[in-house]
Amino acid sequence: MRIAVCRPQVPFVYGGAELVADQLVDELRVRGHDAELVAVPFKWHPRARVLDQALIWRLLDLSELDGPQIDLVIGTKFPSYGIRHPNKVVWLIHQFRQAYDFDRTEFGQFSESPEDRATRLAVERFDDVALREARRIFTISGNVAGRLKEHSGLDATVLPPPPQKLAFRTDTYDDFVLSVNRLDRAKRIDMLIDAARAEPSLRIVIAGDGPDRERLQKAAAGIEDRVEFAGRVDAETLTDLYARCRAVFYAPVDEDYGIVPYEAFLSGKPVITTHDAGGPLEVVSDGQTGCVVAPDAGEIARACSLLIGDLGMSKRLGEAGKSIAARITWDACIDALLA
Amino acid sequence: MKVAYYSPMPPDRSGIADYSALLLPALRERVADVVVAQPGKKAPDADVALYHVGNEPVFHGWIVDALEKRPGVVVLHEAVLHHLVAGLTIGRGNGRGYLDAMERDSGVAGRLLGLGVLDNLLPLLWETQPERYPLTGTILDLAEGLIVHSSYVARKAREAGYAGPLWKIPHPAWPIEPVEPAAVTGEPLIGCFGYLNMNKRIPALLEAFAMLLERRPGARLLLVGAAAERFDLDRRLERLGIRGESLIRHDYVPEDQLWSLMAACDVLVNLRSPTMGETSGSVIRGLSLGKAMLVSDVGWFSEIPDNVALKIPVDRHESATIAGALELAADHAATLGASAQHYVRSEHDLRHVADAYAAALEMAAGGDAVADQVLWRISEAASEVGLEDTSELFRQARGAGLV
Repeated sequence: MRIAVCRPQVPFVYGGAELVADQLVDELRVRGHDAELVAVPFKWHPRARVLDQALIWRLLDLSELDGPQIDLVIGTKFPSYGIRHPNKVVWLIHQFRQAYDFDRTEFGQFSESPEDRATRLAVERFDDVALREARRIFTISGNVAGRLKEHSGLDATVLPPPPQKLAFRTDTYDDFVLSVNRLDRAKRIDMLIDAARAEPSLRIVIAGDGPDRERLQKAAAGIEDRVEFAGRVDAETLTDLYARCRAVFYAPVDEDYGIVPYEAFLSGKPVITTHDAGGPLEVVSDGQTGCVVAPDAGEIARACSLLIGDLGMSKRLGEAGKSIAARITWDACIDALLA
Repeated sequence: MKVAYYSPMPPDRSGIADYSALLLPALRERVADVVVAQPGKKAPDADVALYHVGNEPVFHGWIVDALEKRPGVVVLHEAVLHHLVAGLTIGRGNGRGYLDAMERDSGVAGRLLGLGVLDNLLPLLWETQPERYPLTGTILDLAEGLIVHSSYVARKAREAGYAGPLWKIPHPAWPIEPVEPAAVTGEPLIGCFGYLNMNKRIPALLEAFAMLLERRPGARLLLVGAAAERFDLDRRLERLGIRGESLIRHDYVPEDQLWSLMAACDVLVNLRSPTMGETSGSVIRGLSLGKAMLVSDVGWFSEIPDNVALKIPVDRHESATIAGALELAADHAATLGASAQHYVRSEHDLRHVADAYAAALEMAAGGDAVADQVLWRISEAASEVGLEDTSELFRQARGAGLV
């Protein structure tokens, strides 16, 4: 089949959403399909720009081209699913959360001005049109499916994407807790730094980069000997960190999905997360595959200490997670998307 | 966003006051600032004003005065405003205003009819045939957006020439507290609550109940509400033999007793014709209680799903149809009641209603500005690359809900 996978691209930013779309293209090609990534730069500030961006996708007509037809388009996150095509499937990574669950929170972007309120509503209307056109809607997690039902009244099938294809392995269970995430306020890496401050024996390694780096480094002042900022790491370093850590910390606010727990599990490592982390809670169970605690530095410190102090427990929880992660495959995803 | 909210409020004895008392707390959870305007006080400064308009001049006169000074979103609770307009014109010594309103609705013929009314040559139209001359036009001319509760009123507004944005938002249902049914029974017990007059089809109901009594001697009719002046209720009851054990009659009951009496009924009857397009809070309350219900097949009542209420056509067979429907409803009271409760929970849920109000107000306050910005940027980008015909771009933007 000739398939176009659509995703917006915030220039110079590469995260989980980009990874999923890119891998999907690769996996489709491996299976003999003629797949192509369609990416359009995305800019959401100032607020009304978000509608321009949605319109740009709307104007991209892939329903027919000169020459061979495109058999299927797969939209991923807002506003790429606005593209027009008679055979459109949406694999929803997320809607524009600033217009929904983030609205009127510290993560929102729309003020109480009449123009901002009307812009938010226009996003809602766009979703209503664009998503209802889809032949089928899949979501990357139950969390995203739940939000879609709540905000747009639409049902979806949950289809978690597999983690990136790296040589995940288990080497050792060293005495550090690893964070793998973009350095962004919503990822709440400061809670792990605060936990390290509260627990003097705790050592942490923070992989990733992002706009919150400076603030986080300031937060780690005075405990630099136990808080390592590894920055953006290559695949080899990443798998090495996973292979050597004792546990992985991952606790964003109501995350859509969270690929990191799957990568931790494939490396045989348990995950520490919080009750309000969203997607990760679909695979991280307290005492089964990791620790689920309140979003509080003290609680996180205690969870880290528990796993650092009990090697057997870390191994047992990590191994249990590995069997869960192994069940998520590209074969299953592609079979569902093309059905 | 700041909203100026114009409505009668309790303790005014008005259905719209009760409506606003129910809606306001939920709306305040969704809109940053809602200021309730007061009659005789300075109009609140706001991004958008919301005006609840019903047919009673005492409660809505000052609201229309405010609307004339500052257009805004109108909630049209009824499709007929003749009584209101007459009160605001003739009632204030402004006969010319009445003539203008009649001409706005019905052309020169309307103006001439109005002259007949002013000269006491014709009966008062707001008492005799208001539905033929609804006089909504002058109010709709001031509306920048319109909220209605039914497709019926929406259609009437469009017929009156309203071309602006329109939102159909259901009437919210009151939260239901557990109600202990009153200790009254019948086989079946038929209840009719509210002002008893010709408009409520009481003569047809009484004739139908008399037919039912012949087939089901254990049937009882519970009539709660004052009879209208010049409506000979007692004589009609006597003539039809509805008396003694088969009749329970209350002129007035307090609110809590009203609920428990309603809860005791097997079937509730809420007929209405002609309709002024109103939504009945009483019907919604009855459905909330999970009661089998008979309504007239007119206006908003026709829009209630068939599996929720039995709808009685207003024709020469009306009494016989009601009699048959009473039996049918009594025999299927549980099924109808369950459908009724499900319908009210899904369609008249207060949270959904408040969400829809907030969205309508947000659109009214900022929608045009946002649409203008998007369309301006489209035009600008198109003209920079020499595209003059941007109609396709506009069409796509509109089709995708972006403007």
